[in-house]
Amino acid sequence: MRPDQIATAITNALVMGGAQWLVATIVAFLPALWTMTLILHLGRPYVLRTLRRCGLRLGADIWWMSYVIMRDAVLLLTFAFSWVFFAPNIVTNDALPITGPLAALCLLLALAVKLSRRVDDDVMAYRLATVFLVLGATLYYGALVFAVEATSQPYLAGFGAAFTSNTNPLVAQIIMYVSMVGVVLVAGWLFVRASLSANRTMAPRLKAGQPPVTKEPTPVAR
Amino acid sequence: MTTNQLTQAIISGINAGGEQFLEGTLAAALPIIWLAILGLQLGRPYILDMIDRFTLRLGADLLWLIYVALRDLLIVSGVVMSFMFFFPDVVTTDQLPLTGGLAAVCLFGVLLVKLVGDPDHNLRDFRIVSGLLGLGSIFYFVPYVLGVQANAVTQGSWAAVSMFLVTNSNPSWAVGIGYVSIALMAILGAIAAGYTLVTGGRAEAQEPASK
Repeated sequence: MRPDQIATAITNALVMGGAQWLVATIVAFLPALWTMTLILHLGRPYVLRTLRRCGLRLGADIWWMSYVIMRDAVLLLTFAFSWVFFAPNIVTNDALPITGPLAALCLLLALAVKLSRRVDDDVMAYRLATVFLVLGATLYYGALVFAVEATSQPYLAGFGAAFTSNTNPLVAQIIMYVSMVGVVLVAGWLFVRASLSANRTMAPRLKAGQPPVTKEPTPVAR
Repeated sequence: MTTNQLTQAIISGINAGGEQFLEGTLAAALPIIWLAILGLQLGRPYILDMIDRFTLRLGADLLWLIYVALRDLLIVSGVVMSFMFFFPDVVTTDQLPLTGGLAAVCLFGVLLVKLVGDPDHNLRDFRIVSGLLGLGSIFYFVPYVLGVQANAVTQGSWAAVSMFLVTNSNPSWAVGIGYVSIALMAILGAIAAGYTLVTGGRAEAQEPASK
């Protein structure tokens, strides 16, 4: 083999291997993100209990703010990293949980509940978000643990072949496209809802030709 | 060897090596996480003693919140990083402590007790949490020290014990313990989800009469 052929092979390997490594890293971190999402969402009663014991409002606010930011950021990141389940090439070529796109759709539905209702005040909304998250996690973990990560177990070979995307590409593509339609519908609904909300609050001010009103700061005792 | 074959060989090497490096890094970091969790749990009287010495309520609140956040985030990180013990392929390939999955279940049990109980104010719950952490550390450190970190230097019957305690030299037990751990995690997870569905995410534990 000539030096230029070796150079080509190494270059191709770095480019292709790098791309596969990126996808593999995302897939490897998704279980961690899913677990964090669930633990932070389900741990709300414990966080509230700790918050109640804060003697000062400042401490309670810092505690609650840190919790909410972390919980919602992890939820959003988990959905963002789930984009790999909506790339047809990756779904067909890589070993991914076949129900991954449905899990991502459940995550988006939980996010949609959070965006459209006050999950931290409305018990039913919290329950709905919990159901979506638990359902999504079950869909994700089941296929991941017993199919993608169990290729060494001969008695799970049938389950593994059925629930791994690259060994059952037709079903994987169908699930992916169905979930994609679901994601588009939910995202479209969120978009329309945000636009209507903006129209409702901003249009009257625009009609009147008034600049947005900013409140005068309340004078404090000196 | 053709260019394409060499390319594929390098790609396989990068991916397999990268995956094993990632899992190896997690396995190497877990003892540190476990020691930090134990240190923070056992250091609770020291923190409480320090809080009593604060002249400002703000400082006391912040110290307690930082302590609680650090301690609980480390427990959550321990559970998250222990996820590899539930993957049959990983436990049969890598050198991991045999009962690492059960240690992860103990950590998750601690989180469940914190969710449904009040270990910072209820003595019974505190004892359960401490017991679970003690049991989990035994499950983790015994096979880690005597197995994973000793299997190259032990001889005779100790070598057999050492090999038994490492997952890739005892794959049938490792996979079996992995399935038991998965079942226990699923039960504990279902209890946690059921609790939050019933309470609607509200703090339902009774407040103690005196602190």
